[in-house]
Amino acid sequence: MWRVPAAWSSEKSVAAAWNAAEPFPHLVIDDFVSTESLDELLAIVDEEPVQPYESDIFAFEATAPEPTTAELRALRDELAATLAPGLSRITGKAVTRVDLRAYAYRPGHFLLPHSDHQDGLARALAYAYYLPSPTPPTGGELELYRCRLEEGELVATDSALVIEPRANRLVVFDVSDGSLHQVREVLSGLRISLAGWFHP
Amino acid sequence: MIDLGDLLAARIAKIVPDAIGAARAAELRERFTTAGYTRYALVDRGSYDELRDPSDLELFAALITIASEVTERTLALVEARVIRLGPGDYLLARHDQPRAPGHVELMLDLSPAVVPGAAVHYRRDGNVTFAVPSQPCALSIVGRDPSVTCNHTYVSKLHASGSVVRLVILLAHRA
Repeated sequence: MWRVPAAWSSEKSVAAAWNAAEPFPHLVIDDFVSTESLDELLAIVDEEPVQPYESDIFAFEATAPEPTTAELRALRDELAATLAPGLSRITGKAVTRVDLRAYAYRPGHFLLPHSDHQDGLARALAYAYYLPSPTPPTGGELELYRCRLEEGELVATDSALVIEPRANRLVVFDVSDGSLHQVREVLSGLRISLAGWFHP
Repeated sequence: MIDLGDLLAARIAKIVPDAIGAARAAELRERFTTAGYTRYALVDRGSYDELRDPSDLELFAALITIASEVTERTLALVEARVIRLGPGDYLLARHDQPRAPGHVELMLDLSPAVVPGAAVHYRRDGNVTFAVPSQPCALSIVGRDPSVTCNHTYVSKLHASGSVVRLVILLAHRA
Protein backbone atom coordinates (compact mmCIF):
# COMPACT_ATOMS: atom_id res chain seq x y z
CA MET A 1 0.00 0.00 0.00
CA TRP A 2 2.47 2.67 1.17
CA ARG A 3 5.64 3.31 -0.75
CA VAL A 4 8.87 5.15 -0.11
CA PRO A 5 8.70 8.46 -2.02
CA ALA A 6 10.82 8.39 -5.17
CA ALA A 7 12.59 11.60 -4.15
CA TRP A 8 14.03 9.81 -1.13
CA SER A 9 16.50 8.02 -3.38
CA SER A 10 18.66 11.04 -2.58
CA GLU A 11 18.21 11.27 1.16
CA LYS A 12 20.91 13.91 1.53
CA SER A 13 19.04 16.42 -0.60
CA VAL A 14 15.74 15.61 1.15
CA ALA A 15 17.45 16.09 4.52
CA ALA A 16 18.78 19.44 3.31
CA ALA A 17 15.28 20.44 2.23
CA TRP A 18 13.91 19.33 5.61
CA ASN A 19 16.42 21.42 7.52
CA ALA A 20 15.95 24.45 5.28
CA ALA A 21 12.16 24.38 5.28
CA GLU A 22 10.43 27.44 6.72
CA PRO A 23 8.92 28.25 9.15
CA PHE A 24 10.04 24.92 10.64
CA PRO A 25 11.21 21.60 9.16
CA HIS A 26 8.60 19.87 7.00
CA LEU A 27 8.16 17.81 3.84
CA VAL A 28 5.31 17.80 1.33
CA ILE A 29 5.05 14.62 -0.75
CA ASP A 30 2.49 14.40 -3.54
CA ASP A 31 1.22 11.16 -5.12
CA PHE A 32 2.25 9.28 -2.03
CA VAL A 33 0.12 6.18 -2.73
CA SER A 34 -0.22 4.51 -6.12
CA THR A 35 -3.52 5.27 -7.81
CA GLU A 36 -4.36 1.57 -7.86
CA SER A 37 -4.09 1.36 -4.07
CA LEU A 38 -6.34 4.32 -3.27
CA ASP A 39 -9.64 2.40 -3.54
CA GLU A 40 -8.38 -0.29 -1.19
CA LEU A 41 -7.16 2.35 1.25
CA LEU A 42 -10.48 4.16 1.19
CA ALA A 43 -12.36 0.88 1.74
CA ILE A 44 -10.30 0.16 4.89
CA VAL A 45 -10.83 3.66 6.28
CA ASP A 46 -14.54 3.49 5.47
CA GLU A 47 -14.96 0.49 7.81
CA GLU A 48 -13.69 2.45 10.81
CA PRO A 49 -16.37 4.22 12.90
CA VAL A 50 -15.94 7.93 13.55
CA GLN A 51 -17.41 10.11 16.25
CA PRO A 52 -17.50 13.86 16.87
CA TYR A 53 -14.85 15.52 19.05
CA GLU A 54 -15.08 19.09 20.27
CA SER A 55 -13.14 21.37 22.62
CA ASP A 56 -12.20 25.02 22.68
CA ILE A 57 -9.49 24.39 20.08
CA PHE A 58 -11.09 21.84 17.76
CA ALA A 59 -14.25 20.46 16.22
CA PHE A 60 -14.05 17.43 13.92
CA GLU A 61 -14.97 13.80 13.54
CA ALA A 62 -12.34 11.14 14.11
CA THR A 63 -11.78 7.46 14.66
CA ALA A 64 -10.71 6.16 18.06
CA PRO A 65 -7.03 6.58 19.02
CA GLU A 66 -6.54 2.84 18.56
CA PRO A 67 -7.95 1.45 15.28
CA THR A 68 -10.75 -1.06 15.82
CA THR A 69 -10.20 -3.10 12.65
CA ALA A 70 -7.24 -5.37 12.04
CA GLU A 71 -6.93 -3.91 8.54
CA LEU A 72 -6.41 -0.34 9.79
CA ARG A 73 -3.97 -1.51 12.46
CA ALA A 74 -2.02 -3.32 9.73
CA LEU A 75 -2.08 -0.18 7.61
CA ARG A 76 -0.68 1.83 10.53
CA ASP A 77 2.11 -0.67 11.20
CA GLU A 78 2.95 -0.84 7.50
CA LEU A 79 3.20 2.96 7.41
CA ALA A 80 5.79 2.88 10.19
CA ALA A 81 7.73 0.07 8.53
CA THR A 82 7.77 1.93 5.21
CA LEU A 83 8.63 5.45 6.36
CA ALA A 84 10.31 5.31 9.76
CA PRO A 85 13.77 4.20 8.58
CA GLY A 86 14.02 6.91 5.92
CA LEU A 87 12.48 9.59 8.12
CA SER A 88 14.95 8.78 10.88
CA ARG A 89 17.87 9.39 8.54
CA ILE A 90 16.34 12.45 6.87
CA THR A 91 15.18 14.25 10.00
CA GLY A 92 17.84 13.07 12.42
CA LYS A 93 15.11 11.95 14.80
CA ALA A 94 15.12 8.21 15.37
CA VAL A 95 11.52 7.02 14.98
CA THR A 96 10.17 3.48 14.92
CA ARG A 97 6.42 3.49 15.42
CA VAL A 98 3.47 5.61 14.44
CA ASP A 99 -0.09 6.15 15.55
CA LEU A 100 -2.89 6.75 13.10
CA ARG A 101 -6.44 8.07 13.20
CA ALA A 102 -8.80 9.02 10.40
CA TYR A 103 -10.28 12.51 10.53
CA ALA A 104 -13.31 13.96 8.79
CA TYR A 105 -13.68 17.74 8.71
CA ARG A 106 -17.06 18.97 7.55
CA PRO A 107 -18.16 22.61 7.08
CA GLY A 108 -17.56 24.49 10.33
CA HIS A 109 -14.89 22.08 11.58
CA PHE A 110 -11.45 23.40 12.55
CA LEU A 111 -8.32 22.82 14.59
CA LEU A 112 -6.94 26.05 16.02
CA PRO A 113 -3.23 26.91 16.29
CA HIS A 114 -1.26 24.67 18.61
CA SER A 115 2.01 22.79 18.79
CA ASP A 116 1.83 19.02 19.14
CA HIS A 117 4.59 18.95 21.73
CA GLN A 118 3.46 17.58 25.08
CA ASP A 119 5.78 16.36 27.80
CA GLY A 120 5.61 12.62 28.21
CA LEU A 121 4.02 11.86 24.83
CA ALA A 122 7.28 11.52 22.87
CA ARG A 123 5.82 12.82 19.65
CA ALA A 124 8.82 13.29 17.37
CA LEU A 125 7.27 13.98 13.96
CA ALA A 126 3.71 14.80 12.94
CA TYR A 127 2.09 13.76 9.69
CA ALA A 128 -1.13 14.19 7.74
CA TYR A 129 -2.11 12.27 4.65
CA TYR A 130 -5.03 13.63 2.64
CA LEU A 131 -7.44 11.14 1.13
CA PRO A 132 -9.50 11.76 -1.99
CA SER A 133 -12.85 13.25 -1.02
CA PRO A 134 -16.20 12.72 -2.77
CA THR A 135 -16.69 16.48 -2.26
CA PRO A 136 -13.27 18.15 -2.13
CA PRO A 137 -13.18 20.82 0.56
CA THR A 138 -12.75 24.53 0.41
CA GLY A 139 -10.76 25.61 3.44
CA GLY A 140 -9.16 22.93 5.57
CA GLU A 141 -5.62 24.03 4.70
CA LEU A 142 -2.74 23.26 7.01
CA GLU A 143 -1.28 26.59 8.11
CA LEU A 144 2.20 26.81 9.62
CA TYR A 145 3.27 29.72 11.82
CA ARG A 146 6.59 31.39 12.41
CA CYS A 147 7.03 31.84 16.15
CA ARG A 148 9.32 33.86 18.31
CA LEU A 149 10.06 32.41 21.70
CA GLU A 150 11.58 34.18 24.69
CA GLU A 151 12.54 32.03 27.67
CA GLY A 152 10.36 29.24 26.32
CA GLU A 153 7.29 31.44 25.95
CA LEU A 154 5.73 32.37 22.61
CA VAL A 155 5.82 36.13 22.20
CA ALA A 156 4.95 36.48 18.51
CA THR A 157 3.16 34.31 15.94
CA ASP A 158 2.85 35.00 12.23
CA SER A 159 1.30 32.94 9.46
CA ALA A 160 4.13 31.70 7.24
CA LEU A 161 2.88 28.90 4.99
CA VAL A 162 -0.43 27.46 3.84
CA ILE A 163 -0.54 23.88 2.52
CA GLU A 164 -3.58 22.72 0.59
CA PRO A 165 -5.12 19.41 1.64
CA ARG A 166 -4.66 17.97 -1.85
CA ALA A 167 -5.73 14.35 -2.36
CA ASN A 168 -2.92 11.78 -2.02
CA ARG A 169 -0.57 14.33 -0.43
CA LEU A 170 1.51 13.49 2.62
CA VAL A 171 2.84 16.22 4.89
CA VAL A 172 5.41 15.46 7.58
CA PHE A 173 6.55 18.13 10.00
CA ASP A 174 8.69 18.55 13.07
CA VAL A 175 7.24 18.54 16.56
CA SER A 176 8.62 21.16 18.92
CA ASP A 177 7.38 23.99 21.12
CA GLY A 178 7.69 26.29 18.15
CA SER A 179 6.00 24.16 15.47
CA LEU A 180 2.73 26.02 15.70
CA HIS A 181 0.11 25.00 13.12
CA GLN A 182 -3.61 24.87 12.53
CA VAL A 183 -6.19 23.32 10.25
CA ARG A 184 -8.18 26.18 8.84
CA GLU A 185 -11.95 25.93 9.06
CA VAL A 186 -13.56 23.86 6.33
CA LEU A 187 -16.10 26.03 4.54
CA SER A 188 -17.62 23.45 2.22
CA GLY A 189 -17.13 19.85 1.19
CA LEU A 190 -15.42 17.13 3.15
CA ARG A 191 -11.76 16.93 4.18
CA ILE A 192 -10.65 13.38 4.95
CA SER A 193 -7.22 12.59 6.30
CA LEU A 194 -5.11 10.11 8.18
CA ALA A 195 -2.91 11.74 10.76
CA GLY A 196 -0.82 11.12 13.81
CA TRP A 197 2.74 11.13 15.09
CA PHE A 198 5.90 9.15 14.64
CA HIS A 199 7.47 8.12 17.95
CA PRO A 200 10.96 6.86 18.90
CA MET B 1 -10.49 29.74 56.09
CA ILE B 2 -13.08 29.02 53.41
CA ASP B 3 -15.71 31.69 53.16
CA LEU B 4 -19.09 29.99 52.71
CA GLY B 5 -20.38 33.01 50.83
CA ASP B 6 -17.48 32.80 48.37
CA LEU B 7 -18.14 29.10 47.93
CA LEU B 8 -21.80 29.69 47.10
CA ALA B 9 -21.01 32.69 44.89
CA ALA B 10 -18.64 30.54 42.84
CA ARG B 11 -21.60 28.30 41.94
CA ILE B 12 -23.72 31.14 40.61
CA ALA B 13 -24.34 31.00 36.88
CA LYS B 14 -27.25 32.98 35.56
CA ILE B 15 -28.35 34.78 32.42
CA VAL B 16 -30.50 37.90 32.61
CA PRO B 17 -32.12 38.48 29.20
CA ASP B 18 -32.73 42.01 27.93
CA ALA B 19 -30.51 43.61 30.56
CA ILE B 20 -30.21 46.65 28.29
CA GLY B 21 -32.06 47.86 25.19
CA ALA B 22 -30.87 47.33 21.62
CA ALA B 23 -30.47 51.08 21.04
CA ARG B 24 -28.24 51.44 24.10
CA ALA B 25 -26.19 48.44 22.96
CA ALA B 26 -25.72 50.06 19.54
CA GLU B 27 -24.63 53.31 21.19
CA LEU B 28 -22.08 51.46 23.32
CA ARG B 29 -20.73 49.55 20.31
CA GLU B 30 -20.21 52.79 18.45
CA ARG B 31 -18.52 54.42 21.42
CA PHE B 32 -16.17 51.49 21.90
CA THR B 33 -15.29 51.43 18.19
CA THR B 34 -14.47 55.13 18.36
CA ALA B 35 -12.32 54.57 21.45
CA GLY B 36 -10.34 52.03 19.42
CA TYR B 37 -9.69 48.34 19.86
CA THR B 38 -6.28 46.66 20.04
CA ARG B 39 -5.75 43.42 18.15
CA TYR B 40 -4.64 40.41 20.19
CA ALA B 41 -3.06 37.73 18.00
CA LEU B 42 -0.84 35.30 19.85
CA VAL B 43 -2.80 32.67 18.00
CA ASP B 44 -2.12 29.75 20.32
CA ARG B 45 -4.12 31.67 22.93
CA GLY B 46 -6.53 33.93 21.15
CA SER B 47 -7.45 36.03 18.17
CA TYR B 48 -9.70 38.98 18.94
CA ASP B 49 -9.98 42.74 19.40
CA GLU B 50 -9.78 44.17 22.89
CA LEU B 51 -10.56 47.49 24.51
CA ARG B 52 -9.26 47.79 28.06
CA ASP B 53 -10.82 49.92 30.78
CA PRO B 54 -13.89 51.26 28.95
CA SER B 55 -15.49 53.80 31.18
CA ASP B 56 -19.22 54.04 31.72
CA LEU B 57 -19.73 54.43 35.44
CA GLU B 58 -23.49 54.72 35.14
CA LEU B 59 -23.76 51.45 33.20
CA PHE B 60 -21.32 49.68 35.48
CA ALA B 61 -23.28 50.78 38.56
CA ALA B 62 -26.51 49.45 37.05
CA LEU B 63 -24.92 46.10 36.18
CA ILE B 64 -23.30 45.80 39.61
CA THR B 65 -26.70 46.41 41.19
CA ILE B 66 -28.19 43.55 39.15
CA ALA B 67 -25.28 41.27 40.03
CA SER B 68 -25.47 42.14 43.71
CA GLU B 69 -29.17 41.27 43.75
CA VAL B 70 -28.58 37.94 42.01
CA THR B 71 -25.63 36.94 44.17
CA GLU B 72 -26.91 38.54 47.37
CA ARG B 73 -23.43 39.93 47.94
CA THR B 74 -21.92 43.38 47.95
CA LEU B 75 -19.75 43.59 44.86
CA ALA B 76 -17.19 46.09 43.64
CA LEU B 77 -15.57 46.67 40.27
CA VAL B 78 -12.13 45.10 39.73
CA GLU B 79 -11.65 45.55 36.00
CA ALA B 80 -13.57 45.88 32.74
CA ARG B 81 -12.77 45.28 29.11
CA VAL B 82 -14.57 44.85 25.83
CA ILE B 83 -13.87 41.87 23.59
CA ARG B 84 -14.85 41.89 19.93
CA LEU B 85 -14.69 38.75 17.80
CA GLY B 86 -15.24 38.44 14.07
CA PRO B 87 -15.30 35.36 11.85
CA GLY B 88 -12.29 33.16 12.64
CA ASP B 89 -11.75 34.68 16.10
CA TYR B 90 -11.63 32.91 19.46
CA LEU B 91 -10.23 33.12 22.97
CA LEU B 92 -8.96 29.84 24.40
CA ALA B 93 -9.33 28.58 27.96
CA ARG B 94 -5.54 28.48 28.34
CA HIS B 95 -5.52 32.24 27.81
CA ASP B 96 -8.00 32.80 30.61
CA GLN B 97 -6.69 34.19 33.89
CA PRO B 98 -7.49 32.21 37.05
CA ARG B 99 -9.50 34.15 39.60
CA ALA B 100 -9.37 33.98 43.38
CA PRO B 101 -12.50 32.92 45.28
CA GLY B 102 -15.10 35.62 45.69
CA HIS B 103 -14.98 36.96 42.15
CA VAL B 104 -17.99 37.30 39.89
CA GLU B 105 -17.77 37.83 36.14
CA LEU B 106 -20.41 39.75 34.23
CA MET B 107 -20.67 39.55 30.50
CA LEU B 108 -22.98 41.91 28.65
CA ASP B 109 -23.65 40.79 25.08
CA LEU B 110 -23.55 43.92 22.92
CA SER B 111 -23.55 42.07 19.60
CA PRO B 112 -25.82 43.52 16.90
CA ALA B 113 -27.35 40.11 16.14
CA VAL B 114 -27.23 36.49 17.20
CA VAL B 115 -24.15 34.69 15.86
CA PRO B 116 -24.88 30.93 15.78
CA GLY B 117 -22.40 28.92 17.80
CA ALA B 118 -20.63 31.94 19.25
CA ALA B 119 -20.76 31.15 22.95
CA VAL B 120 -18.84 31.64 26.14
CA HIS B 121 -18.01 28.43 27.95
CA TYR B 122 -17.21 28.23 31.65
CA ARG B 123 -15.35 25.06 32.56
CA ARG B 124 -14.35 23.07 35.60
CA ASP B 125 -11.62 20.50 35.07
CA GLY B 126 -11.94 21.13 31.36
CA ASN B 127 -15.63 20.24 31.21
CA VAL B 128 -18.17 22.84 30.18
CA THR B 129 -20.37 23.53 33.21
CA PHE B 130 -22.12 26.64 31.95
CA ALA B 131 -22.60 27.86 28.39
CA VAL B 132 -23.61 31.41 27.57
CA PRO B 133 -25.07 31.43 24.06
CA SER B 134 -25.03 34.36 21.68
CA GLN B 135 -27.93 36.47 22.98
CA PRO B 136 -27.74 40.20 22.28
CA CYS B 137 -28.56 42.47 25.24
CA ALA B 138 -28.35 39.60 27.74
CA LEU B 139 -26.19 39.75 30.86
CA SER B 140 -24.52 36.64 32.24
CA ILE B 141 -23.45 36.50 35.88
CA VAL B 142 -20.99 33.76 36.74
CA GLY B 143 -19.10 33.05 39.94
CA ARG B 144 -15.38 32.52 39.55
CA ASP B 145 -12.81 30.70 41.61
CA PRO B 146 -9.47 29.14 40.70
CA SER B 147 -11.13 25.96 39.42
CA VAL B 148 -13.18 27.85 36.79
CA THR B 149 -11.81 28.72 33.36
CA CYS B 150 -13.54 30.52 30.54
CA ASN B 151 -13.24 30.49 26.77
CA HIS B 152 -14.95 32.35 23.96
CA THR B 153 -15.74 29.78 21.26
CA TYR B 154 -14.49 30.00 17.69
CA VAL B 155 -16.66 32.24 15.51
CA SER B 156 -17.30 30.36 12.30
CA LYS B 157 -16.37 31.93 8.98
CA LEU B 158 -19.61 30.45 7.70
CA HIS B 159 -21.21 33.49 9.35
CA ALA B 160 -19.26 36.01 7.31
CA SER B 161 -21.01 39.06 8.74
CA GLY B 162 -20.99 37.79 12.31
CA SER B 163 -19.74 40.23 14.92
CA VAL B 164 -19.60 39.48 18.62
CA VAL B 165 -19.11 42.28 21.13
CA ARG B 166 -18.94 41.47 24.84
CA LEU B 167 -18.41 43.82 27.76
CA VAL B 168 -16.65 41.76 30.41
CA ILE B 169 -16.66 43.06 33.96
CA LEU B 170 -14.92 41.42 36.88
CA LEU B 171 -16.31 42.08 40.32
CA ALA B 172 -15.10 41.11 43.77
CA HIS B 173 -16.95 40.61 47.00
CA ARG B 174 -16.64 43.62 49.26
CA ALA B 175 -17.12 42.67 52.90
